Amino acid sequence: MDLTEDDVLEILNLIEKSSFDFLQLQMGDLKLVVSKGGYMGSAALAASGDHAPSAQPAAAEAKKEAAAAQPKPKAPVVREGTVPINAPMVGTFYITPEPGAPPFVQVGSRIDEDTTVGLVEVMKVFNAVRSGVRGVVAEICVQGGEFVEYGQTLILVKPEGKG
Amino acid sequence: MTISRVLVANRGEIALRVIRACRALGIESVLAVSEADRESLPAKMSDRVVCIGPARAAESYLKVEAIISAALGSGADAVHPGYGFLAERPELAEACVEGKIKFIGPSAENIRRMGNKLLARGLARNYGILLIPGSEKVGNFKEAALVAKEVGFPILLKAAAGGGGRGIKIVTESGEIQGAFETAAAEARAAFGDETLYVERYIPNARHIEVQILGDSFGNVIHVGERDCSLQRRHQKVIEEAPAYALSGPLREEIRKAAVVIAKNIGYENAGTIEFILDQDSEKFYFLEMNTRIQVEHPVTEAITGIDLVQEQIRIADGHALSFSQTQVEFSGHAIECRITAESAQDGFRPCPGSITEWHPSDGADIRVDSHGYAGYAVPPFYDSLLAKLIVHGENRVKTVARMQEALAGFIVSGIDTTIPFLRMLVCQLDYIKGKVNTRWLEKMVADLPSPGPKTD
Repeated sequence: MDLTEDDVLEILNLIEKSSFDFLQLQMGDLKLVVSKGGYMGSAALAASGDHAPSAQPAAAEAKKEAAAAQPKPKAPVVREGTVPINAPMVGTFYITPEPGAPPFVQVGSRIDEDTTVGLVEVMKVFNAVRSGVRGVVAEICVQGGEFVEYGQTLILVKPEGKG
Repeated sequence: MTISRVLVANRGEIALRVIRACRALGIESVLAVSEADRESLPAKMSDRVVCIGPARAAESYLKVEAIISAALGSGADAVHPGYGFLAERPELAEACVEGKIKFIGPSAENIRRMGNKLLARGLARNYGILLIPGSEKVGNFKEAALVAKEVGFPILLKAAAGGGGRGIKIVTESGEIQGAFETAAAEARAAFGDETLYVERYIPNARHIEVQILGDSFGNVIHVGERDCSLQRRHQKVIEEAPAYALSGPLREEIRKAAVVIAKNIGYENAGTIEFILDQDSEKFYFLEMNTRIQVEHPVTEAITGIDLVQEQIRIADGHALSFSQTQVEFSGHAIECRITAESAQDGFRPCPGSITEWHPSDGADIRVDSHGYAGYAVPPFYDSLLAKLIVHGENRVKTVARMQEALAGFIVSGIDTTIPFLRMLVCQLDYIKGKVNTRWLEKMVADLPSPGPKTD
């Protein structure tokens, strides 16, 4: 029996009110996975006998190898009495809103949690870097226009309490 | 065909797509590459490669002089700009004319008119097409706030020179407007060299519908159907479908007609796309913008029409009339495209450049993969994160969704994180299968996802 598209939508309407996170409908040659939750459904799908699991061990191996081959990532800077602001993503760091403009912050600038301290451009998108800490800028660790890695320390801040 | 050698001024999957179209037409291809792309798949596939500059796009793919000198130096008689980079910069089209090279795209004048979203809005209004309530240029955040008061929050701050979802910020309340204005202006200046912003009211229950247009140098303009690109994240399309299944018959005819009216009136030549916002509550559609280039999602239109849009682009630029008339364009079944990007959805869609160690794209009847990926390829961190487009075709939407689920299950990539696991989850969602979505649905679903557990590695 071959169901029409309307038949399938009708079936979906009937099951919509029942409680399920994930189910698999097989109607003739149509195999449809339906989920009302998040990743559980696709994990179950992967576990239900498709090719994905067989690739898992190889993938894990490959990941290990890749990790071993890569040079050590630039670790966050730790300095007593300061809190680092780390790059939220890999990309190009900009300390000024545009070329020639005054920088977002300088050594000695007083900042709070919401201050924008720079921009990281990655794949054409500019992302504002939020301070996340209240205090005074103690050191700027990277140059404007420098390629920064994920987690690399951009700025060190001498924290201050709320006041 | 008088064109015998095409310089491909792009990278990634679209460069490969253009190289293949050239090959099918018996035309040689020369690929312009940055230093970072010397080992790319399109570099291996093209007849010749010319390095035009360092990795940074501003010093290579965005340099008009570099492209033109590469074209002239390699004896190319036409330039295909792909999408992004210089595709919608009138300066490239102009420089091509000066260098007596054919530009595979519309005239510089039409790129300029449609490229400026404010000008385009004015033109569409003149042709009787509805516009989303909004403003002319706003010079600072205070002006934007005034307009926002008028049209009501939430609003969109958009770059007049923007497009392709870049330079757009949504603002939900007046407190956010200053920060959003500054970021949007900075992004617009960096990306398009023009910081002009304008305001549009945000339509909450909307669909993004766009009509594919083709025009030739004889004044023929036809549409090749429409697409639904409502599934977006940060204004970037994630899944696109053709036809736009939510449109009623009369509305479908109206929206296609509106697109042809605009393209015909401006004397549009080559492939273009007119984008509309469909308000699902009022069943009204509004002009959004026109993209004067081939779109990322063009394969879904190709799947349901059997037309090769890139080959048609080259034929049009070569001075041929369209290969078919409006009545000869036939639509068959449904097609869906998933954009697979090098990002970790589990980690806030963090871009994941790096080396691909394993690469097994989906395969099978009615499955198409447009990609520059391969095992051993190192995805550079300098460019857009698009890694592959997975396109499936089926006789109706439900069957096509089922086929997409299978195709995604069989797409294996390791070494870097991709959005494949996220897409697998997405196409199983009940709302998606039923087609009960709008342009906000995807973002909301992402926000509602249970947060992933702490990383173990």
